[in-house]
Amino acid sequence: MSRRLDERREAYQRYKRDVNERGKPFYPYAMFHDTVMSLVVVSVIAALAVIWKLTAEEEPDASGALGVLYGEEADPGTTNFIPRPDWYFYFLFYLLRIFKWPDSVILGTVGVPTIALMLLLALPFIDLRRERKLLRRPVAIVAAILTVVSMGVLTYKGATARESLGTEAVLAVPEWVEQQQLPQEAEAGARLFAESSCLNCHIYLGSGAANLGAPELTEIGASNKGVDYFRQYVANPAKFGNQRMPPFQGLGDENLRNIGIFLDASKGPK
Amino acid sequence: MPRRKSARRQKLEQLIAYPIDWLEERSGLIGGLRYFLLRKVPGDTSWWHTLGSATLTAFIVQTVTGVVLAMYYKPDPDKAYESIRFITDDLTFGWLVRGMHRWGASVFIILMFFHMARVFLFGAYKYPRELNWIIGVLLLVLGMLEGFTGYLLPWDQTAYWATVVGINLNGTAPFLGPFLAQFLQGGAEIGNETLSRFYAMHMLLIPGGLFALIGLHLYLVIRLGVSSPPWSPEAAGEERVEAPPEGRAGLVQPGPRGGYAK
Ligand code: HEC
Ligand code: HEM
Repeated sequence: MSRRLDERREAYQRYKRDVNERGKPFYPYAMFHDTVMSLVVVSVIAALAVIWKLTAEEEPDASGALGVLYGEEADPGTTNFIPRPDWYFYFLFYLLRIFKWPDSVILGTVGVPTIALMLLLALPFIDLRRERKLLRRPVAIVAAILTVVSMGVLTYKGATARESLGTEAVLAVPEWVEQQQLPQEAEAGARLFAESSCLNCHIYLGSGAANLGAPELTEIGASNKGVDYFRQYVANPAKFGNQRMPPFQGLGDENLRNIGIFLDASKGPK
Repeated sequence: MPRRKSARRQKLEQLIAYPIDWLEERSGLIGGLRYFLLRKVPGDTSWWHTLGSATLTAFIVQTVTGVVLAMYYKPDPDKAYESIRFITDDLTFGWLVRGMHRWGASVFIILMFFHMARVFLFGAYKYPRELNWIIGVLLLVLGMLEGFTGYLLPWDQTAYWATVVGINLNGTAPFLGPFLAQFLQGGAEIGNETLSRFYAMHMLLIPGGLFALIGLHLYLVIRLGVSSPPWSPEAAGEERVEAPPEGRAGLVQPGPRGGYAK
């Protein structure tokens, strides 16, 4: 152990001597490279901003090459879109799809990222060999390739994962009405349900995605909890001990009642 | 013997030297700058070594554009969206500042990963640079948190709902999770409190941490020196058979800088 430490110290002394004898001054040599690179970075960032602005302005409806300048204003009530984090969180986003609620989702949100972080932090203490040449570090090569490939795959999958869009779910409403034999007064609620973000977390007759441990709602009406219960629940789930579902107070009383009627009428396909 | 300088020239030189000497005498900063600029780096440092300063440049772009945005942005759910719209559509070059801040964030994150990959492939995290690797990992985490908190600020649908999911995910962590989620959210729902919190973290807390850690990171880079590319035949610190001293004919013909032990 101490022999290894001595060797490392010796190597570092040798490094310092070599640099002193044969190195070159930071200015102007390395600084030249750094300056060129910095100019490239600033230009690339400015170019991205320009492309973003120009392409998004050309066709205001379609998003430009780099996306819209800004989306619609946040509206806690009616939403029908996909919650998307920034691209560097896609891998995490997709991990959640691999680990399903409730037994293993903690592995996805906490477990895997924590282990990865611990490994990163511990790397200099795991790899104690002095060898720096890549071809003589087979474990490092394999680990690097595995990391890059898995992060790439997860990011790609996260980018292309299709959650059901509210607008698409609306098309399924007539089918719901038929299969569930919904009464007419439940149809308005069905449409609202499809347009709001409910299906981002809940599954209804095969539409939507199971997220955050949200239960399937296809047969929720069979519990006979009543319209009023659902109305209050959806308005403020926190009151019922549900911290994961956002409050939908913003939908307004009328809409909440309609959703309540719809949920109460959903008693499973006949 | 050098030609005697004219009196005029001498005076001019004194005039230039005076403020520099004044500053040096009182602070030692000039000496520090000289040390920083003229310190030796391995002769074989390459373009790979520019990734760190490229990351630093991206960070500086974020700081400058961020300060400008902060002058016009209003962290209030009723005004945030409108202020972003104003910056993008009406403010002169506001779109450029906001665009650079927005895309600079991605460039910053990418460069951090590239820089980390370079450090990994060079084996530059080994003795004595372990601590700088750890500081680097913390920088990576803080950088991504900066991205997460900044994402909410435009207060559009994507921002809002991505944050809903993000906060809820925090809530799933054992023990601390619910507390963390509650702390981030600030109130019963995502609104005023949440936006203020994210703004404070995005503007003060996390950048403060980043500044401090980057300072420490660069201090260690200067103190320890950057590593040579390991495959370079000139790699500093490599064990090598010393060339026989001059004047004594060696049995082995030494290479220009001696052969290598391995
Ligand atoms: C961010 C994810 C999310 C969204 C969006 C969401 N929910 Fe939920 N919901 C949940 C979770 C998680 C639960 C389960 C909570 C628990 O088990 O304590 C739940 C539970 C429920 C329940 C109670 C089920 C029962 O067994 O009592 C109802 C009803 C419900 N949601 C309706 C809705 C409606 C209607 C919408 C859309 C307006 C909606 N949810 C949107 C996550 C969500
Ligand atoms: C805000 C982000 C960062 C900035 C501004 C930054 C800046 C720098 C700079 C300027 C250098 C000098 C050498 C070079 O440019 O390669 C350097 C070296 C180094 N960086 Fe970073 N860095 C950052 C993030 C990271 C990360 C994420 C890691 C790794 C987890 C890391 C680990 C290291 C190590 C170990 C060195 C020493 C390398 C050597 O001696 O060859 N840094 N950094």
